Amino acid sequence: MSKFDERIKKELTSRTDDDVRALEEDIWNGINEELFERRTPEVKKRKRWVPVVAVIAAALVLAFTLQTEPGSALIKTVKDMFVPEKEIIQNLEGQDEHTNVTLNEGKDSEYVIYVDEERYKMVKGGDADVITTSEPLPDGYPEVSMEIRQFPTDKPEDLVKEIEEELKIDFPELRPMETVTEPVEGYWLHGLTESVWDGKVIDVYVMSNGKDGSFVITENYFLEAAEGHGARFTHMLQSFEIVD
Amino acid sequence: MEQHHWVQQIQSGDPVAFRKFYEAYANGAIRTASAITRNRELAKDAVQETFIRVFRQIGSYDPALPFDPWFYRILTNECLRLMDKETLLVKVEPANLEDNPTLAEESFDQLSNLYDVIQSLDNHHRIPLILKYVKGFSEKEIAGILNVNQNTLKSRLFKARKQLKLRLDLPGEEDVTR
Repeated sequence: MSKFDERIKKELTSRTDDDVRALEEDIWNGINEELFERRTPEVKKRKRWVPVVAVIAAALVLAFTLQTEPGSALIKTVKDMFVPEKEIIQNLEGQDEHTNVTLNEGKDSEYVIYVDEERYKMVKGGDADVITTSEPLPDGYPEVSMEIRQFPTDKPEDLVKEIEEELKIDFPELRPMETVTEPVEGYWLHGLTESVWDGKVIDVYVMSNGKDGSFVITENYFLEAAEGHGARFTHMLQSFEIVD
Repeated sequence: MEQHHWVQQIQSGDPVAFRKFYEAYANGAIRTASAITRNRELAKDAVQETFIRVFRQIGSYDPALPFDPWFYRILTNECLRLMDKETLLVKVEPANLEDNPTLAEESFDQLSNLYDVIQSLDNHHRIPLILKYVKGFSEKEIAGILNVNQNTLKSRLFKARKQLKLRLDLPGEEDVTR
């Protein structure tokens, strides 16, 4: 190391000595309080399979009731088997949060999804539905939205390759495509423009529509919002069900 | 201690073990955050949040990769995030050395001047210098921490040193290494 290097090192060390002395214990106290002292008795976490069981149970009820005339009359649409509103417990930034979610029906009643309407709204469009923040974000913040679009004649395995190629242009460090079972079963693409607070993040899920086509769900948010909007989108997407 | 021991300790969630980990890493983390943010309160928040994130997100760490660059990537991102947030709240003019005639008159032997000169560099050049000299990371590691190409990083470090010498009115490497 040259003398110049040594001087830079010495200077950076000496000029940060005071901060080390002043902050070391203080920071630990903050960490200790946040991680260990503030721990309340464990709130029983809702197991991830609970909603799945609920859907299966509802489907069984539907199957049995449809076998009878009164049952057919009672249940007009598949949507009827979902409760209009419910409370979910979602883990955000390490904390359990109770959130009320509302059932929303997608374009042409082809799917349902529970939306946290305290924070988001679903805007229905001609080709796609978009879940976005209830109030627009201030200037300077990147887009925050989750778009749900159906491609009736494109198979997921073909579509995901096309989308991957397109995303590589705007997201040079796009992660290799993965097959996932959560929050939906299908293909997952994840990209980030750069590691700064407002770096744009994209998550694209490509899944079968149950026939010959696909649903493409595109989440847009930014790096700082990964544990906020990103996590909330994931929770909402877990409730996505094709009903057509 | 080997990195996998730290990872195991953090995963154990034991406060005593985590305290040991904190004691081993706090010094470097505070120095780095303090130099990057140039603000004691921001540094405090950045370091605190980094340790909390590491504790909660240890599951996302790939044990095949070295631990320290992973830790410092979180710390650096947290510093930048808080600095950006602060800038959004209060538009603070960055320190402009060239507008301060007294600094240019100080000699290189006054080390406080060197610190001011380092801090007058833009983030692209300043932060790699801090990571290099505070923690002694290699160029490859710094490139990984900052998520930039290694050649880009080399160029930034070269330019940073060049700018330091220029602003300190030092003619060349020979003059400072003898």
